[in-house]
Amino acid sequence: MTHHRPQAHTDTQGARFLDPKVLARIDNLELLARTVVDGFLHGLHKSPYMGLSMEFAEHRPYMPGDDIRKIDWRLFARTDRHYVKQYEAETNVNFSVLLDVSSSMSYGSGTVTKLDYARFLAASLAYFSRRQRDRVGLYTFDSEVVEHVRPSVRHLDQVLHALERVEPGRPGALGPSLFTVANTFRRRGILVLISDFYEEPDALVEALRPLSGSRHDLIVFHVLDPAELTFPFVSPASFEDLETGERFPVVPEKLREGYREVLGAHVAEVERRVVGHGAEYALLDTSQPLDLALFCYLLSRQKAGGGRGSA
Amino acid sequence: MPLSFLVPLFLAGALAIAIPIWIHLTRKQRSLVVPFPSLMFLRQIPFKEDRRRALHHWLLLALRALVIMLLVAAFARPFFSGEGALVTVGAGPTEVVILLDRSYSMASGERWGSAQAAVSEAVSSLGPLDKVSVVVFDQGAEAIVRSERDPTRARTALDTIQPGWGSTRYGPALKLAQSILEDSSLPGRELVMVSDFQRRGWIGEEGVRLPAGTKIRTVPVAGQVTANVAVADVALRRDRFSGRERVTPSARLVRTGGEVPVDIEVSLDVDGRELQRRTVTLPAAGTATVDFKPLPLGASHTRGTVRVPPDDLPPDDARNFVVSAGSALKVRVFTHAGAPDETSLFLSRALGISTEGTFDVEVRPWGAGSVDGLTAAEVVVLTDVAFPGGNRGAALKRMVEDGGGLVITTGESGGWARDMDNWLGTRVGVPVDRGGGRIGWIDYDHPVFQVFKGPRSGDFTGTRFFRYRSLMIRDSAAVLARFDDGSPALVERRIGKGRVLLWASTLDSFWNDLSVQPIFLPFVHQLVRYASGRGETLPWFTVGQVLDVSDARAMASAGLLQVTEQARGLEGERVVTDPEGTSVRLPGGAGPHYLNLKGAGFYTMRSLKDGEVQPLAVAVNVDLVESDPATMDPEEMGAALAATVAEGTSDGDGQAMELQRADIERRQSLWRLLLAAVLVLMAAESIMANHKSTGTATAG
Repeated sequence: MTHHRPQAHTDTQGARFLDPKVLARIDNLELLARTVVDGFLHGLHKSPYMGLSMEFAEHRPYMPGDDIRKIDWRLFARTDRHYVKQYEAETNVNFSVLLDVSSSMSYGSGTVTKLDYARFLAASLAYFSRRQRDRVGLYTFDSEVVEHVRPSVRHLDQVLHALERVEPGRPGALGPSLFTVANTFRRRGILVLISDFYEEPDALVEALRPLSGSRHDLIVFHVLDPAELTFPFVSPASFEDLETGERFPVVPEKLREGYREVLGAHVAEVERRVVGHGAEYALLDTSQPLDLALFCYLLSRQKAGGGRGSA
Repeated sequence: MPLSFLVPLFLAGALAIAIPIWIHLTRKQRSLVVPFPSLMFLRQIPFKEDRRRALHHWLLLALRALVIMLLVAAFARPFFSGEGALVTVGAGPTEVVILLDRSYSMASGERWGSAQAAVSEAVSSLGPLDKVSVVVFDQGAEAIVRSERDPTRARTALDTIQPGWGSTRYGPALKLAQSILEDSSLPGRELVMVSDFQRRGWIGEEGVRLPAGTKIRTVPVAGQVTANVAVADVALRRDRFSGRERVTPSARLVRTGGEVPVDIEVSLDVDGRELQRRTVTLPAAGTATVDFKPLPLGASHTRGTVRVPPDDLPPDDARNFVVSAGSALKVRVFTHAGAPDETSLFLSRALGISTEGTFDVEVRPWGAGSVDGLTAAEVVVLTDVAFPGGNRGAALKRMVEDGGGLVITTGESGGWARDMDNWLGTRVGVPVDRGGGRIGWIDYDHPVFQVFKGPRSGDFTGTRFFRYRSLMIRDSAAVLARFDDGSPALVERRIGKGRVLLWASTLDSFWNDLSVQPIFLPFVHQLVRYASGRGETLPWFTVGQVLDVSDARAMASAGLLQVTEQARGLEGERVVTDPEGTSVRLPGGAGPHYLNLKGAGFYTMRSLKDGEVQPLAVAVNVDLVESDPATMDPEEMGAALAATVAEGTSDGDGQAMELQRADIERRQSLWRLLLAAVLVLMAAESIMANHKSTGTATAG
């Protein structure tokens, strides 16, 4: 059982393509996803993330249009002919993204909201999975399922299109939504749950129960804004709940330490519960690049594939 | 001492303190709203519910509330009342009247400085409840400050006062002080006299009665008597030389003090230029006379000044005068037809002899054509002519009523129409034979006989009257002289603007021997001159006199105008320039228009209508009584004034008088302190509020 903490992004090649601020400038989600995935994979050999490998399967002759970065130059030196490397592909699995689109996900202290970050992540993962020839699907929910795209090899475009149209909705409730989602799955697959998890841990566990267990590989991405993590506010103000509209007078300097403690405890509890149910957990800071998230995903895929990563 | 408020209604403004409190409480609700994903964790933080209503920045709120409270209190005008605020003075609050002598003797030496210091000290010693009046006086009195509580105003007024030109007279000042003290409602009264206490200014209490309880205090400022030389008088003797009138000035100098004779240079200025200078030796405490050369007189007024070098008392070092060429008094003497020359001989001869003014005499028999000579005559003398009737009589009446003079002497042909008795106010009776009647009574106060009042001035008793007519007098006539049997000898009646003088005898040698008496000439001159209405030429006036410049004829009578041409030149608006050079416009038309001669020197008057008319000049001199250094004992005056104080005691002797609330508040003026505190607190509030805002912005 693994869990990953957000780390400061090191200067790896291609990392600039993973910066959410940069990604926010890309209007086309498919292009964004491709940029993210290609950039990630290209820099993967320089990645500081350990434990991840791409198994080489075979060579094939170079054809115009192939990525020249895949040309095996050693073989060219030996044979004086151009061959590209091919890696082993995954076996055909269902990949679904479960995206929380409740109103709390619309929060963002910077240029990128949590929902935007989640969309970028979801699109990138879907694109990545499709390259793995997985069947990709999408489920968006708040207090109930808002939209769903059944996993299919031909549904990448629908998934990306649905992600582009997604809007923050009503107050969220994980339990009913995930219960509904779980009942739609007939085959085992990879589920990626992206949410800010403003639920009590007990309620969260109950919500995840239908998804966890041996049937599915669950990866949980806990997405939070830096302001939610650090509570940098100074001026006394009325804080308004984005989901309920309720206002609460807050003197930040008085509550900051307490808030951090409570949040930290909540995050720790959520992680413990999630990992305790056999899922992968990663806490994502929306100010940080997407490489961590992608790394977690690939690591999970590798483990699920018996140690063989694929691209 | 309990705290009271002069305007307690303003305390309702204290409700405004609720404003900053309300702002502090409600500010959070209207403050910044921060969207946050969920309040789930914030609610889990343990804190008290009442933090939501907590007031922050207590000190800032307290400052703002205190500012409002102090501002409200200042407007409510607080003061400490109670027994401690009562003021107990020996005689309670006192009305103090300070009499300050500003006669010209006060300019001598250090007197004025000492007087100002004494008045200032008296003002400074006033209590907070006292009122002060400052009355400056010379021959008149003026209150420059009246019943004033603020001593600053008295001091300010004192700085504007200087010694004047007037002489000392205590009466008017004391009467003014009496009225001020009587009008006062304060229980205490005090009179302070600051003066050099010249004796000549005191002619008794002059009816002054000071209110009961008035305290008298005298402050003498006279220093040592120093030697003083004054030009006491200037005699102007007229005569004619080579057909031209001239005047010979002769100055009399008086020296007071000194121990040895001194040589004094005396100068004569004419029309602003020094023409003559003499040196005279003046004995200590003595007099001397200085004669100057004759001065020819021109057509206009001639201004002259006799002056000596300045000494300790400058105002009496010069004497100004104005002289002008005299014009002959036109006299027409009418005799009855066929009268012998002796009838008018003595009269015409006497009128022909004159040194101070000439008589233009014409003798005619009364008859046809006599009316023609009346319009030019100023005086008509009818010698033994029955009063005419008809047109001639009417013309004569008009001449008198228009201001001319008529002298009637009786004789053999007397007789009148009955209706003339009413006009003359006298019935002329039959002749009375006397063996040697004499003049028995004379009204020496009358201008005709005034010059004969003094000893050896003329004796009428030596004249023998052989015959005279009896005169029966009506109420409208005045008897100026009587014979020894009581019969009227000289009767006067004023008719219109003129006058008629009726002499019961003759002015020749037939009915009396007056014509051969030494007194005949001056008597005839006085008789004719008085009948003309012309006043004696006045070479100067005295400071303090008032001149009515609206009536040119009155000015001519006063000797200011010699000819009617000059009188006509003063018609309409005039400009008067005083010795200081200040000009004042006097309106024309009917008066009176008074000119107050306040300063020594020359006043000039010119008409705005006709600029070619030469300006008239009036000389004004100080009253020399002020130069008399004799003083009276201030205690003597104090005792004399104390005797005028009414019996009894003033109200509230020794009692404390509770101040009016407004007076107490005004003296304490706590509102000033409160406003100063408000300013300081507002500055502190601004600094503190800015500090809070800056700190919040930086952290945000």
